[in-house]
Amino acid sequence: MNRLARHGWCLATALVVPWLVLASPGPLKLAGVPPAWPVLWLLPWALVDGPLSGALAGVGLGLLLDGLHLGPITEIPALALLGWWWGRLGRKGPPIERSFNLGLLALLGTALLGASLILQALLLGAWQTAPALHTWLAQTLLTGLLAPLLCSLQLLLWRQQTSGGRG
Amino acid sequence: MPAGRRLRLPALRVVLQAWPWGLLLLALVGVRLSKGAGFSDAYALVSRPFWPGSAQAEWIRSAQGLDDQSRLRQLEVDNRRLRGLLELQGRGGQQVAAPVISRQAGGWWQQLVIGGGELQGIRPGLPVLAPGGLLGRVASVTPTTATVALLTDPGSRVGVWVGRTQRHGLLTGVGTSRPVLRFLEKDPGVRPGDVVVTSPASTLVPPNLTVGVIQSVDDRAVPATEAVVQLSAPVEAVDWVQVRLP
Repeated sequence: MNRLARHGWCLATALVVPWLVLASPGPLKLAGVPPAWPVLWLLPWALVDGPLSGALAGVGLGLLLDGLHLGPITEIPALALLGWWWGRLGRKGPPIERSFNLGLLALLGTALLGASLILQALLLGAWQTAPALHTWLAQTLLTGLLAPLLCSLQLLLWRQQTSGGRG
Repeated sequence: MPAGRRLRLPALRVVLQAWPWGLLLLALVGVRLSKGAGFSDAYALVSRPFWPGSAQAEWIRSAQGLDDQSRLRQLEVDNRRLRGLLELQGRGGQQVAAPVISRQAGGWWQQLVIGGGELQGIRPGLPVLAPGGLLGRVASVTPTTATVALLTDPGSRVGVWVGRTQRHGLLTGVGTSRPVLRFLEKDPGVRPGDVVVTSPASTLVPPNLTVGVIQSVDDRAVPATEAVVQLSAPVEAVDWVQVRLP
């Protein structure tokens, strides 16, 4: 396991994600659709702590959130994939810290997460396409807009915890 | 009186002199025959500034509401008793009130989490009501909370009917705020504005709970007519719900 995950309290901050999903604060919604809170937590975590920790955190978050939601549709595969991908991005190349980059990664990640949910729903024949597309677009846009603010702060905090270690 | 004295009629001159009194008599007869129309109208005209104002109207409406509630309660009791005699679904009448502690009416999932669970007797499948009508059904419970699948949730299926035409259909959530009502026949004769209630034949929810109002009808849908239903219970504004126990 990597550096950040050794700090228990750092890992415990993941509990904020299901809390925010349940609280679903009204001012942070776009057309009634909330942002993808797991993406906003997972992105800085994986960038700092690497692919393995990112993937495991994605699985953990997915398990937690699937327990809160109805139906058989799961977020685990997309979150695990995103955690692994962002972890690799953090390990290779220069550190990612610019607001635009964080926003773009969150936007792509949310789009991927939404696409995985739509795909599962279509396979199960559960959702209609039009409302699913509305939710997908609104959530992707909102998460991409919030990411520069929220992810930058988390990135800063996690990098301080890892003694200025490279993300 | 001396015998043989003749009865004398008043002179014509005297009668003509009393014409105002005759006119008055005619007017009184007119009032009598018209059931006092002139007087009532005149009274209404004069007393208009003193007519009962909005305060009195509120009292009357309040009294009317109280009367309606009391009659409704009595009818519900009667209905329960009769359904009990017929051994039909919906005999139970006890309700548990629970606060809404999480609301996810938009996004990928349409659900509520309420602050009442197994400890309060809530079980999966029970109907959840709000002011305005049926909101959904309990999908899962913990000891102190329950997750409610809203009627708008894509997995939601509830048997309903349109009272005016007495046609059955299946209310299906499609992930938007307005679920789709799929009828069992091609020409159900419904139109926008018809009220949708839970079906008396439903085994999942009690009968005759208000669900919503038909907003639009698609007669060309295949295999049968479909309608979009505007739900009557305001999900976004409800803070407390009632769970109807079996």
